[in-house]
Amino acid sequence: MAQINMLRVQGLLLCLITLTYHQEQELMMLLFLLLETFMVKTLLVPAFLNKVALKNNIKIDSDPRFPHFYTLAISSFILLGGLLVSNIHSEHLKNVSTLYFGIAISTIIISFFFITTKKKLITHVIGFAMLENGIFLLSFSVAKEMPMIVSVGVLLDVFIAIFALGLLIGQFENHYHNPEVCHLCNLKDCDCDE
Amino acid sequence: MNNYFVFDSLNIIFLAVLILVTTGVVIYQGKRNWKYNLMFFLFFISMVGAILSNHLGLTWVFVEATTLTSAYLIYQNKTEYSLEATWKYVFLCSIGISLAFVGIILLLIGSNVVNSLFYNNLYANATIIEPFWLKLSYAFILVGFGTKVGLAPVHFWLPDAHAEAPSPISAMLSATLLNSAFIVILRYTRLMDLAGLFNYARILLLTMGFLSVFITAVYVFKIGNYKRMLAYSSIENMGIIAIGIASGGVGVFAAIFHLIAHSLIKSSFFLTAGNILHIFKTKEVLKVQGLIETDPKTGWLWACCGLFILGAPPSPIFFSKFLIIKQLFIDKHLVLAGLFLFLITVVAYGILRVVVKMSFSPKITNKRIKMSIRNYLPQISLLLLVLVLGFYIPNWLYHLIEEAIKCI
Repeated sequence: MAQINMLRVQGLLLCLITLTYHQEQELMMLLFLLLETFMVKTLLVPAFLNKVALKNNIKIDSDPRFPHFYTLAISSFILLGGLLVSNIHSEHLKNVSTLYFGIAISTIIISFFFITTKKKLITHVIGFAMLENGIFLLSFSVAKEMPMIVSVGVLLDVFIAIFALGLLIGQFENHYHNPEVCHLCNLKDCDCDE
Repeated sequence: MNNYFVFDSLNIIFLAVLILVTTGVVIYQGKRNWKYNLMFFLFFISMVGAILSNHLGLTWVFVEATTLTSAYLIYQNKTEYSLEATWKYVFLCSIGISLAFVGIILLLIGSNVVNSLFYNNLYANATIIEPFWLKLSYAFILVGFGTKVGLAPVHFWLPDAHAEAPSPISAMLSATLLNSAFIVILRYTRLMDLAGLFNYARILLLTMGFLSVFITAVYVFKIGNYKRMLAYSSIENMGIIAIGIASGGVGVFAAIFHLIAHSLIKSSFFLTAGNILHIFKTKEVLKVQGLIETDPKTGWLWACCGLFILGAPPSPIFFSKFLIIKQLFIDKHLVLAGLFLFLITVVAYGILRVVVKMSFSPKITNKRIKMSIRNYLPQISLLLLVLVLGFYIPNWLYHLIEEAIKCI
């Protein structure tokens, strides 16, 4: 799936940013960030999602609520808007990298746009992974370190969340043979038995 | 050097409630397989971590861990409904918690000099954090952790997960999980107070609180599933606690007292709902009749839980609601007090109607299902405790709550 390749590219870019930006980083922290961006964000998460897609015979989101071209155009406008806003207000953003801040905020908004306009559940998980990449870049733009215990915890939580959602997609496939958002409308405030 | 975990008057109350409810649930559910027990233990540990954590980032890690560990427990029945509920729970809570993390990063942007997320360091430097970033951060924190608490309008996972999880897990979700996320909002509200931004926090808390009670008042008449009704009641009660905190003064005492009482009563309510499901094999209100005739112990427990959760005296919830209204009157928020009174009356009528119908209508089945004493004992014990609290608050508890208020 093209969206999974996009996640790989995002992961690789984050890895390169880590290498170039954090030159004064503690060695342990630098190694951890490289492990997080390269091993987890570039290799593990996309490989896992790819496996989920292949196993459940999921192909491209062929019938999104929004045509792909419009998605691309709107995402570009959001990115442009994010960069403009962060540059205009750069004097308020002390000790913050305005470039990364703008891209991070745009990525977070685009991920929400992605989640709300796509039909397949796997695309929602990809949107979630994209949101996490945006948040990673946002924390990077602040250039303040979390303690190692917190960073490890955050990484584990995010990875397990994606892993759990991937497993649930497999369960949806067993029940419905086509995991889409329309299968999330059965529970309403009506009568139902266990 | 700061400790990552601390005990204080506030989290000791949350921890005591967690241990009490968990003990009741463990007795009720009996023996389970090792996978279930492991995930239940991890769920419990992650809630303990979230409650005792003294570091905002670490609290985030534990709160997210509660989502992941409880997902397996919610999906126990392995039906299409439980799958949908589990998906919504994991996905919406993870998105919400991610937004809370954005809030933490915004706080870091605003606290140039502080460079620490330990609560005591943040409190000590509250006045030098830039108000713009702190306000923005609070909004994200409230929406993020509010998702986990089940505050409207970010409550959508809650009715589904509570209704589709096995009843002991519903009891844990409602009586302990929501509290574990609420403690973060309480601690962050204190930061806002120390920074001189309590009015801003108050407006947001009041908005979400009233919206939660309003949503329950609207939906309570449409619900045909009694476990779902209890879930909406949890949304209402979290809203009431938020309103109590926002009211300030005696409202804060009332909110903490309400939180304790709600946890004890609601866990009993969900466990009793488990008995009903066991007897009638349905969650439909219309198909459950003559509960007291069919199984007197379950029937009376159901009726008592219903009366207690609505705040019929001597339920402690009566006093907490009364004190919140009193505080709103003292502050001359007459419209808010009137609205609060109206909404909780509507909710009370909606829930009471269902509880009375299920308990006291003539029975439609002659089936007798034998249940063990452990299916009654936890509820009876927890309700007795609630009854005692309704008549008498021990001095030590009174002082503990007063000390806890100083942490908010």
